[in-house]
Amino acid sequence: MSTRLTKALEFANYRVTLNNQQAQLKAKTQSLLSYSINGGTFTIDIPLITFCKQLIDDGQTDVVLLDIHNNPIKVDVETFYDEIQSRYFEVTNDYYAEYEKLRKSRKVHKILDLNEKGE
Amino acid sequence: MKKENNKRGVLMFAHNNTEIDYFRLAVVNALLVQKNLGIKNITVVTDPHSLAQGEKTLGKRLIKKAINNIVVVDKDKDFKARNLRLYKDTSHSVKHLSFYNVNRCDAYDISPYDETLLIDVDYLILSDTLNHCWGHNNELMMNWKYQDIMYERKDPSLARLYDMGITMYWATVVYFRKTEYVESFFNIVKHVRNNPQFYKDLYKWQGTLYRNDYSFSIAAHMMSGFIDKGIPQLPTTLYKSFDTDDIHSAIDENTIIMYLEKPRSPGDFMLTKWAGVDLHIMNKWAINRVSNNLLEFAK
Repeated sequence: MSTRLTKALEFANYRVTLNNQQAQLKAKTQSLLSYSINGGTFTIDIPLITFCKQLIDDGQTDVVLLDIHNNPIKVDVETFYDEIQSRYFEVTNDYYAEYEKLRKSRKVHKILDLNEKGE
Repeated sequence: MKKENNKRGVLMFAHNNTEIDYFRLAVVNALLVQKNLGIKNITVVTDPHSLAQGEKTLGKRLIKKAINNIVVVDKDKDFKARNLRLYKDTSHSVKHLSFYNVNRCDAYDISPYDETLLIDVDYLILSDTLNHCWGHNNELMMNWKYQDIMYERKDPSLARLYDMGITMYWATVVYFRKTEYVESFFNIVKHVRNNPQFYKDLYKWQGTLYRNDYSFSIAAHMMSGFIDKGIPQLPTTLYKSFDTDDIHSAIDENTIIMYLEKPRSPGDFMLTKWAGVDLHIMNKWAINRVSNNLLEFAK
């Protein structure tokens, strides 16, 4: 096989590994952005955070929110907001750090944190 | 062994066949549960032979440390001989072996807990995500949605019992509370187990193998008033690797490096690092090969 073809195949392999690793990172982030309270589960995202902030600004305290199963869950909105906001930034900061590390890895073994021998 | 009176716990079933040491997998996973979920109440249902093998290879002390309640039951020998499944240790090694899963539908009666997480021994607990289930408003939850960790790979045959059939729920992880509704649900699962031919004709699942995924899916359909996807899903996605994949190594109690078979190139693999998310690993030999490392990390 020519050197050029070998290099192309190596790069293809690198791209597949990188794509899959990025998807894994996304999966981990998604699972960490899940928050359970009072028998309900919420996905922490920007609309939820913004909505809670608006409720607080409107002077609301105890509110009923629909969780991922559309079940009504009563929460103390201030505590809830603090929790989800802090969780959101904790998780996204980790995501950013790991994403950047992946982006800068130019070899398959570096993506996987292995040495060149694969150990 | 004496069981503790506690409200929340994890339940697993482990019956060895001639090649796969399911009990060893249960011990590994029990230690991962303790480490990552922080749950000490773990019940494992097994049979005298599997337990004896476990005691011989792992030692009673380690087993006691991992599992605080062992329920020993006798195997139904006819079922064992009848229910054969194709097991793969990657595409390179394929074997027909006994698949003993007949008593999983007794989980409701066996579980000593008010809230139970019923999990497969090969569903490795690498995170604390399942702690979201405790105290949940939904008394019964299981997944119909799953995600292959080789993102390019798609297998539409796993979505339904047959092409035009009901949605397939995965009995890999089930959360349930002890309520009348859930008791009725498990009664239907048992009815399917006891009358497989009738339900096979009705729901038209493929092949002759009895799978709990089928009986749990049928019960889910019936208990939802014959509506598809009526039982709520767990607050976590079910991630799966397949028996054509392999494990490269276990890095720590949260991280595994996997060989994933490329979709259009059987027998050819790529690597992926899987960290901090629970994972169903279908290749049992692969888990057994790294079980010593996992035992060390999780101990």
